[in-house]
Formats: sequence, structure tokens, C-alpha cells
Amino acid sequence: MSRFTVPIGPQHPLLKEPLSFQLTLEGEEVVDSVIRLGYVHRGIERLSEKRTYIQNVHLVERVCGICSHVHTTTYCMGVESLAGVTVPVRGLYLRTFFCELERIHSHLLWLGVLAKNLGFDTVFMYAWRDREIVLDIMEELSGGRVSHAANVIGGVRVDINDSQRKTMTVSLKSLSQKITDLRNIVEHETNFHARTRDIGTLTAEQIRQYCIVGPIARASNVDVDMRRDVPYNLYEKFDFSVITRSEGDVWARTTLRIQEAQESIKICLQILDSLPPGAVAVRAKRRVPPGEVICRSEAPRGELLYYIQSDGSDRPARIKIRTPTLPSLAILPDLLRGINMADVSAVVSGVDLCIACVDR
Amino acid sequence: MAKKLSRIFLLSKLWAVFLEGPTTGGYPFEPLQLPSGFRGKVVMNAHLCNGCGLCVQDCPASALKIERFDKQHFRIVYNPARCAYCGQCEISCHRGAIHLTNDFNPAVQHIGNLIEVLVERGLPKG
Amino acid sequence: MSFKVLVFPGFGFLFCLAMLAEWIDRRMIARFQGRVGPPVFQPLADFIKLLGKEDLLPTGVNEKLMAALPLISLAACLTAGMYIPVAGVSVNNFEGDLIVVLFLLSLPSLLYFLAGWSSIGIYSILGGNRALLQFFSYEVPFLLALSGPAILNSSWNITDIMVNQSTSIWAIFVLPVGFMLAFFGLIGKLKRDPLDIPKAQSEIVAGPLTEFSGRKLAIWHLANQIQTVVGIFLLVDTYFGGGVIESRLATFLLFSFLALLILVSLSVMSAMYARLRIDQLARLGWKRLIPLSLLQIAFIVWMGKGF
Repeated sequence: MSRFTVPIGPQHPLLKEPLSFQLTLEGEEVVDSVIRLGYVHRGIERLSEKRTYIQNVHLVERVCGICSHVHTTTYCMGVESLAGVTVPVRGLYLRTFFCELERIHSHLLWLGVLAKNLGFDTVFMYAWRDREIVLDIMEELSGGRVSHAANVIGGVRVDINDSQRKTMTVSLKSLSQKITDLRNIVEHETNFHARTRDIGTLTAEQIRQYCIVGPIARASNVDVDMRRDVPYNLYEKFDFSVITRSEGDVWARTTLRIQEAQESIKICLQILDSLPPGAVAVRAKRRVPPGEVICRSEAPRGELLYYIQSDGSDRPARIKIRTPTLPSLAILPDLLRGINMADVSAVVSGVDLCIACVDR
Repeated sequence: MAKKLSRIFLLSKLWAVFLEGPTTGGYPFEPLQLPSGFRGKVVMNAHLCNGCGLCVQDCPASALKIERFDKQHFRIVYNPARCAYCGQCEISCHRGAIHLTNDFNPAVQHIGNLIEVLVERGLPKG
Repeated sequence: MSFKVLVFPGFGFLFCLAMLAEWIDRRMIARFQGRVGPPVFQPLADFIKLLGKEDLLPTGVNEKLMAALPLISLAACLTAGMYIPVAGVSVNNFEGDLIVVLFLLSLPSLLYFLAGWSSIGIYSILGGNRALLQFFSYEVPFLLALSGPAILNSSWNITDIMVNQSTSIWAIFVLPVGFMLAFFGLIGKLKRDPLDIPKAQSEIVAGPLTEFSGRKLAIWHLANQIQTVVGIFLLVDTYFGGGVIESRLATFLLFSFLALLILVSLSVMSAMYARLRIDQLARLGWKRLIPLSLLQIAFIVWMGKGF
């Protein structure tokens, strides 16, 4: 059978962000694939050396359109530890609140994209409809749906009053119910199973070999979670469980993410319940003493790492960002080899690529 | 892990959603509900401004510019086309002169028409 | 004659119904998904807008062929519509018109494949291949399922099949499995969700129609919509006896209700399922549906058609 090459991307309905695959097909079977990156490279790491620490908060927020808050959180954590600023407890609570809301938002968005790519428009619409609840909460608190600009160096700039707390508790509880509904669909729908079971399976050895982190690793029974392993932002105070599954296929990743969203709702409700009074932020100095720091946190897609080097001025000497998606991108050629052309959409959306994060 | 697979699992859910009615709105024809804290166009209380320039210094997108004529005379020019609507100027201003409005829809024919002068102290022409 | 061709039951009638059917379908799916859905003139507006768009073709294709394919597809669907009785009114009929209608209705699928094959793009060729594979999976059960009522009523004339049933019993009560198969075949024929495999958006963009634009694309869509209407009417006529009862008004209402029911069922199917993979469809078609439809034929023969 003759081979031919199918280009997917940089512009293709499958991809929400620019990325290019060259798939070599034999009939409907993928035999080889080449990935090209760099379509959304914005030079953020270099740009950040030209800007002040305060301006960089908003710059790193724009690394990614979905996990924007966790980027600023990690960056602020780093700068605060360099500058020796202690964030008030209420500020940390609110940071964690936003981090968890963002996780729910990211996981629901991902579920919608997967369903859309499988031709399952109804679940796509439901997932994105339910995601609106989270976005509304974040918009009400911070004034932005995805670019929250909630963090400042030294705390947060948002605050919750009592009436907001009550309405948010109610809407989060209703969201929990809706996420259970989505989980039921994913677990019981025959066609969804047919399209996702035993597709794109990764073993624990492969995960370790490629250093894959986050939900993909946990779906293959590799138990890593920065929130529990390296507690930051007072995560040790909250009661949540790290979910792992053993199947390692696209279906396992789907249910795992839905379960994680439910755990995040649990954390959010605990935060709303036990929010301590006090200030949300302290003023930090513009200049940061010389030094270097590595900061890690759990983004919706896995471990996020920031390296910040300061030379004592009001601008960082170097910022290095390691995003969780890059290793999952590295394993894609392996995953795509030998599968049906129709499963490409399930596999590619299953690893939850965030190209903006990878390219920076 | 007992899972019951069903081919008609979604049917009852579809029916429930159908009865519930749509959740989307008809935005251009119906008004949009925005929270009070929404970050839209920047406005300034000109009489509170003392021209310290902190907002200009901290603006990550260079949307604010300050033109100084001499010590007392300056003007602050705002370009919404460059603005990232991050609200940093609001945080940076010590005198509470700047705040972000709910106006998110500043559409004009020519992008240059968006630029406006927020504060004007003294004129260069005189 | 020109009235028949242009107005009823020809182009004008089917065009209006196609637009209406598309609107109901889109609106229903939107409501199932919690959306508002398009207003009633949206399908017409889409059609007119597409007509006015620039018509581009890739270099190196046979331009005459590309222009002819959507027109032949539309003509086939319209011609099939001429022989379908609507609300008990049969304009044209002759012995064996069921076979002609079935042939005319399967033409668009073949033309669809040809469209993919003759436009040079890689997505089109992949889509064309898939269209052909899908054609073999649903077409056989569809044909066998529709021959059920014909054998039952000892006639290959749609009007006769319809009228016979109004005096005896609707075929759906005797052959419920046959109706299911025909319904499934109709979904495959119309390339709707969950069987939109040849035009799977997230895999091969728009399948065979990727390289079409402007007027040609508009005509492809129109042909598909008219095929939807004709297919639904065919199912109502063969399996529900065309809804024929004594009074003309009651027949009209019953016919509309049944057609609407099938249309809404199609929308429900679209909303309810994820897209199948082509090998899953082929397995389903050849291992389940074709044996089932053969069993059904055997069942009718065993009954000795002594109804």
C-alpha cells in the first residue's frame, strides 16, 4: 500500500493552538509522525529580563491562556521568597482558591475539547456550560474571565465578602452535581468507551522515561502531585486526595481529570468555609535582593517550574520556565505510531497539549 | 469496578436539558450582566493625579505614556489599543486616581481615535 | 409538467422543506445541548451567503467535473423526490419506482466519493475513501430493510405499498427491526452524527468537500438537505403507510407528525452519540446489521406474505 503524508496543522480543526504534525499514513494507519513547534514563540523569557518584577507578573500570566493564574502564583512565590516577603494567610487562601478554580476550569475545558474532537458535541457543550460557573466566580472576584491579574507580589488583589462567599458556596455545590453528571456520561456511554478505551495507552515505565507529569502520569499509576509532595500555598492544611488510575488510556485520563475537578471543588469549599480574616497583601519593595530560587507548583497539567535569578535591581536577571506539557509532546510520536487515523484526534487531545505553554 | 454501559444513557439527560431551556443568552440583543469589578477601559480622576508616573512605570503593555513639559506640567496619554486591561495602574496608584470601568467595547473606525489624554496640566503650545 | 418539476413536488416544495428541516434539526440539537439555536431564516441566509462567496478550486482539478458533481447530486435528490408520495398525494408513480428512488438516493454518496477523489487535496482523498467504505456498510442493510415492506405488500411501487398499508397494517408493527435498520441506514446515507465519518472535522477537516467553496458548496449542502427530506418521507411512506387515513386533513397532519418524529429522532441520535470509527462502523455493519436484515427477509418469506 502506498504511503502518503497528511499535514495536521499549524491550522487544523483538531488543534486549538498552532502546532504542526506530519503524519505518514499507510491506508488509515499512522506509521510515522514528525512534530514541529515554535508557531507561538513569543520570547517571554527574554522579554521578562527587560521588565520590572511588577510588570512581569502580567507578562507571565500571558504564557498560557488557560493556566494563567498558576503561572503568576509560582512566579510570585519565587519573587516573594527572594525578597523575603511573607504573604498574609488570607492572601494565600485566596491564591489557592483561584488555583483550584483554575484547575476545574482547565479540566472541564479539556473534557469539552476531547468530546468535540471525538464528534461528541453534546458533552462539549455541557462541559463548557458548566465551566461558565467557575468563570463567573473568577470574573466576579477578579474582573477577568481567564486573565485574572489576581496576584501581586506580596499577596493577592482580590477579596471575598460574606455574601459572595454564600453565593459561591451554593454555585460550587451545584457545579459538583453537574460534574457528577458529566462523569456518569463518561463512564456509561458506550460510544465514548469505544473511542477512548485502550487508546493511547502509556505504561508507568514510559511515563518515568519521558518525565511526564500531571494527570497523564497519574492516569498511568505514577503517583506525583506537587500539592502533596512539596506543599506550597498552605495545601497541607486542606483535606484532598490525589487520584491515580492504573489503566493509562485516554478514558482513564478523562475520568481522572473529572475526579480531580471534584477534589478541587472540595478544596474550594473548605477554603470558603475557613477563610481567615485579615489583609490579603503586603506591600513589597520594588528591588529584590540578589539570589536565585527555584519554585515548583502543580499546574492543571502537572508540575510547573520557575527559576528566577536576581542581581539586586528591579528587573530579574533570568527567568526560566519549565512547563508540564513539553514531555508529553515528546512522547506523541511514540503514541501516534501504529494507530488508526481516526484515533489521532483522541490521542492528541488526550495528552492535553498546551502549545502556548511549551513555546512561551 | 462495575460499569454498566448503556447506548441510551444520554437520552434522559438530553430530555432534561431540553425541558430546562437554553442557558445561553442573546448578547447583542440582550444586555450583558457584568460584575462590578470587571476590568474594562481605564479612567482617571484628573484632579487626584500628582504626576508621579508610577502607573506609567508599572504598565506592562506601555499603554500609558507620560509627557513632561516641566516640573508641574505634564500630560498622561492612554492608548486602549495597547492596553492589556491588567489593572496594574490601579494597584500602583497611591492616590487612588485610576480605576478600571465596565466599558469593554470601545469600538471605533480608526484605531488612532481610541487614544485619549487622561490628565493634562499645562499646554505645550502656550 | 413544469409545475410538477418547479413547484410541487419539485424544486420549490423540496427547497422550502429542506430549509425548514435544517432549521428544525439545528434548533432541536441546540436545545438538547442547552443552546438557543439559530432563528428560522438562518438556513436560507447561510445558503444565500454561500452562493455569493468566491468560488475557488485547487489548480489541476477537472473543473467541469467539479462543477457537475454537486449539480448531479442535487438533481438525483430532486428526481427521487418526484416519486415520493407526500401526505398521501402521489404525483408520479410506476411499478418499480422504489428501486429507482433507492438508486437515486444512493447516487449522492457515490458522487461524494468522486468529489473527494477528483479534488486533489489529501483530506479529500481520505474522506472519499472513507465515504466509500461507509457506503458499503450502511447501503446493504438500508436496501434490504426497505425491500421488507415491498415484499410484504407484493409491490415495488411506493404508492401501492403506502395504500396497501392503510387498509391492512403499518409495516413498522410487523417489521420493527427493519425500521431500525432503515433509520440507521438513513443516518449513514446523510452522513450525520454519529456516522459523519467521511467528513470528520477533527480528523480530515471537511472530507471530500474540503476543496469546495461558494456556489458548489451551497449546492452540496442543499442536495444533502433535500436528501434528508426525501429519505424521511420515504421512511414514512414505506413503514408508516404514509399516514394515510380517510380525511385529507387528518392524513396531512399525521404525515407531518410522523415526518417530524423521524427528523427529531435524527437530531436526538446526533446529539446522543460520539462519532464511530470507520472500522467500528464496518464491523457493526457487516457483523450485525447485514445478518439482521437478511434474517428479516427470511422472516417475511417464512410468513408467506399472506397478510
